[in-house]
Amino acid sequence: MQETILNDLKMPYCPGCGHTVANKSMSKALADMGVHPLDVIVVSDIGCTGLVDPLLTCHTIHGLHGRAVALAMGIRMGLEHPDKNIIALQGDGGATIGLQHLLEAARHNLDLTLVVQNNMVYGMTGGQTSGLSSTEFKEPERPETAVPGYDICTLAQNAGAAYTARTFIGTDTAELWKEALSTPGFSLIEIVEMCPAYGMRKVQELHDTADYESVVTRNPRAVGLPHRAIGRSLLDGLKPIEHTCEAPLEGRLEIIVAGSAGEAIQSAGDLLSTAGITAGLSATKKGDYPITIGTGFSVAEVILSRQPIHYTGIDCPDIMIVISQDGLDKVRSRIGEHTLVIADAKLGPELEELAGQLNLMTRDFRKTGGSKGAALAAIAHWLQDNGFLPIEALIEAASRHKHGDKMKVIIDKAVAA
Amino acid sequence: MTTVNERMVFLDGSRLIIEAMARAGAGAYIGYPITPVNWLFAGAKQRIPIALEAPDEITALQWAAGFSSSGVFPVTASAFPGFALMIESINMSFMMELPMVIILAQRLGPSTGSATTGGQGDLLLLRGCISGGYSLPVFCPSNLNDCWDMAAASVHAAVSLRTPVVLLTSKEMVMTNQNMDISGLNKIERAERHMHEGNGQYKTYGVNGNLAPPFLPLGNDLHQVRLNASTHDMEGITQKNSPEALGNTERLKNKIEQSVDEYTYFEHDQDEGADTVILTYGISAEAAREAVGLLRASGESVSLLVMKTLLPVPPRIYELLSAYRHVVVVEENIVGLLRELLYGNRQHDRVHGVNKIGHMITPQEIAEGVRQCRKPS
Repeated sequence: MQETILNDLKMPYCPGCGHTVANKSMSKALADMGVHPLDVIVVSDIGCTGLVDPLLTCHTIHGLHGRAVALAMGIRMGLEHPDKNIIALQGDGGATIGLQHLLEAARHNLDLTLVVQNNMVYGMTGGQTSGLSSTEFKEPERPETAVPGYDICTLAQNAGAAYTARTFIGTDTAELWKEALSTPGFSLIEIVEMCPAYGMRKVQELHDTADYESVVTRNPRAVGLPHRAIGRSLLDGLKPIEHTCEAPLEGRLEIIVAGSAGEAIQSAGDLLSTAGITAGLSATKKGDYPITIGTGFSVAEVILSRQPIHYTGIDCPDIMIVISQDGLDKVRSRIGEHTLVIADAKLGPELEELAGQLNLMTRDFRKTGGSKGAALAAIAHWLQDNGFLPIEALIEAASRHKHGDKMKVIIDKAVAA
Repeated sequence: MTTVNERMVFLDGSRLIIEAMARAGAGAYIGYPITPVNWLFAGAKQRIPIALEAPDEITALQWAAGFSSSGVFPVTASAFPGFALMIESINMSFMMELPMVIILAQRLGPSTGSATTGGQGDLLLLRGCISGGYSLPVFCPSNLNDCWDMAAASVHAAVSLRTPVVLLTSKEMVMTNQNMDISGLNKIERAERHMHEGNGQYKTYGVNGNLAPPFLPLGNDLHQVRLNASTHDMEGITQKNSPEALGNTERLKNKIEQSVDEYTYFEHDQDEGADTVILTYGISAEAAREAVGLLRASGESVSLLVMKTLLPVPPRIYELLSAYRHVVVVEENIVGLLRELLYGNRQHDRVHGVNKIGHMITPQEIAEGVRQCRKPS
């Protein structure tokens, strides 16, 4: 294995291309620092910068256009060897595509070095300008359309990069390389270069047209690394539900509980399901609520069945428990001929008006249970009234809950009422 | 009453999927939060050693590829909008031969569609997402038990074949709570990568007659590793179209297809003498199981075939289907994606669809579909 990260193959670049110089500078800096090639991982982008890949004796990973920094971040976070050097190589096109990744790497301050070889042009595809092209750079076909380029050093610095440097090709970059590679955290070197195929041919012209100047910034701060946790089993923490009593239910019962956000509708649905399982039934429950979970309706769909439940959908439920206007507005259309509607008293007039022959039971559940306990009060009242499940099953289910004592009080009040 | 060994709990498919993948060796979960994978993300944060929020789905897949190339098994999850962003990076990972699992929880489309409504609209997207038409292995759970088994199978297939694998599920599967006795869950072995051993020559994509190359992580001290998303030779050097490089690309097709028998999973509930089979997958399978019960209870003979390995299409599926006069394909979309996958665009007299969007297909609708197809035309 050679001690430099470049092998003896001829550089694949046009005469006068800055990439040749930049790559040799990188190789020399690493050799001067005594870094073994197998302690280096080069993440190369698409574009002329990526053509260096076959010339490298270190570990290489050649990915997509613009994504080298994101890929390098993943490698750094996965690798358990902080002593390995990770270098991402991009052109100005790749840096434009992946600007978000660059900022993200700087924000996390992950220990890697990004080298942006900015020749201000998409050299492989016809000389189009990139987001890093300067105002005065003349694109071959539409030279008048230039707009100011991103100053990625300032962007990276503001995002939290530990080190940024901009230099121009032709300048001695050895010290920049060494400082960037030895800086803990995210370092960026932007090398402003010429593309002899599409851009300018003289270094002086490069300096004359650039909007920006050489710069070095340092921002020493804690290096980012992902937190590694010892995960807890998602099953071991589940308390088994004991089958302690029997339910008289023989078939399948479909129940909808509807109310407003913040009224513990989902908890009530879980409780009813757990009560069913306690009584030896199968149970399913799914929730429905707006994406903005803190407002609007909240609906829980519960199925209890003597037989195993496969299909978990409910069209027109057997039982509909409704405790608020939001809930009623959401589920009104699903009331069927056979549906027993159990509603808070305030909704009674509207429901009676809605369908004269409605199978309806109303009570002041909000008074019994408060806004957060109204659904539970309605469930307890219904169970006490019809006996589908023994009320003991609901009390047992409540005892598993962190607010079990409060729930039991509500159940007692509802049953007594 | 509760038996001695029973452990009856009330849980959702997300919890089972994440726990199964953790046991199979998932070391990192990288996600951009999107509905309906919310509970997968929440479970991963408790269970997977490294769990990260990525700023977008392209980043999520790039980070996943970085983890995988370092030797850590990554998992991510998304719905169509995020999966669409991931596709180029999935192609990259496929080409680099980086094992990972992408959980795709389907919801109603097109586009952002309805985030909290289920659907089965992404099968052909998966069939066509790799440029060149190669298949990714795609597994699909049809109930809670499958959430456990297919999640583990996904990780094992990804590791043994060195490839991204998709676990295709849907909102209704990962966000519905059900009772389950978890004492009977199958034991899950940790999937171990086939590592290159010794100091001899190592080519990153040298297979020595095997379907997938042995692995070494980036940064190892013994051998140079060259991972490459462009067309490459066995060393990992970019080649335009050399015979060696094209041979390597052809192997990517072969390694998935030639080993499909090893990861073919299905459920065939055969009714002796039945001339009709209900063919389905995912969330519609549960309704189909009830439909089978309804039909048989009324004296109507019918079989059920639930595909759990969707891609590449296992040859065994065609063998089983060939025994039936009528095939009723049930899926929650109005185009008939599985139908098209298996039979193309041409109408076949023996192939029928039961399709719908916006709501789960009911057992009654499936039973009616079976009865309709048997009526003389």
